[in-house]
Amino acid sequence: MGWHAFEQHTSDVQVRVDAATLVDLFTEAGRALAEIIGTPAGVPSGAWRRVSVDARDRDALLVAWVNELIARTEIDDQLYTEIEVVDLTATRLDARIRGVPIAETRTPVKAATMHGLQIGAGAGGVSATLILDV
Amino acid sequence: MKFHAVPIAPFEYELRDDADRARHARIFADDELIAAISRDRSLEQLANVTSLPGLYGDAYGMPDMHEGYGFPVGGVAATALPDGVISPGGIGFDINCGVRLLATEIERAAFEPNRERIVHDLSRTIPSGYGRSNLMALDRDELDRILEGGCRALIERHDAGLPEDLEVIEGGGCLDGARANAVSERARERGAPQLGTLGGGNHFLEVQLIDTIFDAAAAERLGLRAGAISVLIHTGSRGLGHQVCTDHLRVMDEAQARYGIVLPDRQLACTPLSSPEGQRYLGAMRAAANFAFANRQLIAHRVRGVFARHLGAARALRLVYDVGHNTAKLERHGDHELCVHRKGATRAFGPSSSELPARYRGLGQPVFVPGSMGTASHVMLGNDSAETRSLASVCHGAGRVLARGAAKRRVAGHELRRELEQRGITVRCASNTELAEEAPEAYKDVDRVVDVVVGAGLARKVARLVPLGVVKG
Repeated sequence: MGWHAFEQHTSDVQVRVDAATLVDLFTEAGRALAEIIGTPAGVPSGAWRRVSVDARDRDALLVAWVNELIARTEIDDQLYTEIEVVDLTATRLDARIRGVPIAETRTPVKAATMHGLQIGAGAGGVSATLILDV
Repeated sequence: MKFHAVPIAPFEYELRDDADRARHARIFADDELIAAISRDRSLEQLANVTSLPGLYGDAYGMPDMHEGYGFPVGGVAATALPDGVISPGGIGFDINCGVRLLATEIERAAFEPNRERIVHDLSRTIPSGYGRSNLMALDRDELDRILEGGCRALIERHDAGLPEDLEVIEGGGCLDGARANAVSERARERGAPQLGTLGGGNHFLEVQLIDTIFDAAAAERLGLRAGAISVLIHTGSRGLGHQVCTDHLRVMDEAQARYGIVLPDRQLACTPLSSPEGQRYLGAMRAAANFAFANRQLIAHRVRGVFARHLGAARALRLVYDVGHNTAKLERHGDHELCVHRKGATRAFGPSSSELPARYRGLGQPVFVPGSMGTASHVMLGNDSAETRSLASVCHGAGRVLARGAAKRRVAGHELRRELEQRGITVRCASNTELAEEAPEAYKDVDRVVDVVVGAGLARKVARLVPLGVVKG
């Protein structure tokens, strides 16, 4: 289980993600991204897409994961609202994602940044604050 | 650690830490702007920039500075070659985002009866927001030609503009040394369908009225006349540039430890410019910059088409200049070869610069400072004194002062749309939410920002432009 909230940032989008587990944290970060980008045109019903990303540590892995979703959203013109993390280590993530067309774009996102990012202990388990360039 | 700014000269502040030690950074501002700058994390981010290995002299904050990530937006820093670093975070994701101004001889009286039709046609002709356009079918070879040839390739091979346009684009519309083979497949996949699109965020296309001329002789040489219509285009390298930055930040984040580089912010990841990673990023960044020049060129070509459809082909739109504000350039300053990072800052060479187009020799490099939606924009010319005071750099806009969420809470998009229409400004923006995010209240006062630039001696005012029609990205 995870939840997210948007925090103050002068020019970009700063999102705080909290979750009980790391798997939930990565899943919730993907859901927050979809919410920022736009409104889905319904519920996904098509085929699942397999996604794998790797990075040199856990913080970089979170950025690589969100950047993968940003690129896939733009290339596929799909909002990935269904996310299942299949396997997660400190340096690799395997997931299945499923998307729907975007009914209305809210905020196009260019990239996730490493600025000030640190995955750490939070009240509900783990938390991270991520800044997205929009 | 907390940071603060101390006035040291008119319109100039020095950055100091909480022990009141100077931090090799200066900010151009006045009392009101420095108060706004001090409210967010801009000063901390500018202090982080001073930790870049090989930093030459001071880092600079422009009067429109605000917090970003890595560098603040409105930040300038140079590293000395050959050992200084290059940092993708000092350029940003939207590589060579910039501004292009087209001037016309069209009088307001001739434009007004056609205003709604023209602005509507512009919004239909030039895609904005998310995603693609497919305005041009670019196969791999053709994309490579644009990545390495910029505007020249687009004009010569696709007839998308006039040969004389090239003279008045920064770098002739093509940065030498671009390497298409350093641009990833992912970047190509994102960017290729997007050539000729505005994108989202604060990007826009504006039809404007030249409202005030401050320097008649300079305005005449730039082809600007009070009462005439102009068109300002603000956009960048789209998904291609975003992905180039993403790809190479990751490479540098992994590589910098091998060069003994430790930084307070991973978003500032860098390697020496002379390293294989630095050279590869420089080549990719230049390729993305060329894509951005070509993007603005294709948009301008289509703008010309719209005006010709409605007002006749004789009503030519002449390119005044095109300049980026998210780049790293290799420049000579005094006796030093430098890599000058400008993130949300505009290069502003003075009248004696040999880099100026022949048409503007002795005049200074044109600089465009867009205001927020519904407010004025300015045309300026760089001064020679900017060379030593700010590495020949000035601001790039008004600068945000209000977060997007706060702007949306304060301003209703539909009311803003109505208010702008009542003021005679036609607005085309699909989303009221996005409209609210870019409300005038979300930005600093552009006239004030420009006055600081003038007061600090960095550039001089030529003309003030006010909007008649806005197509928002």
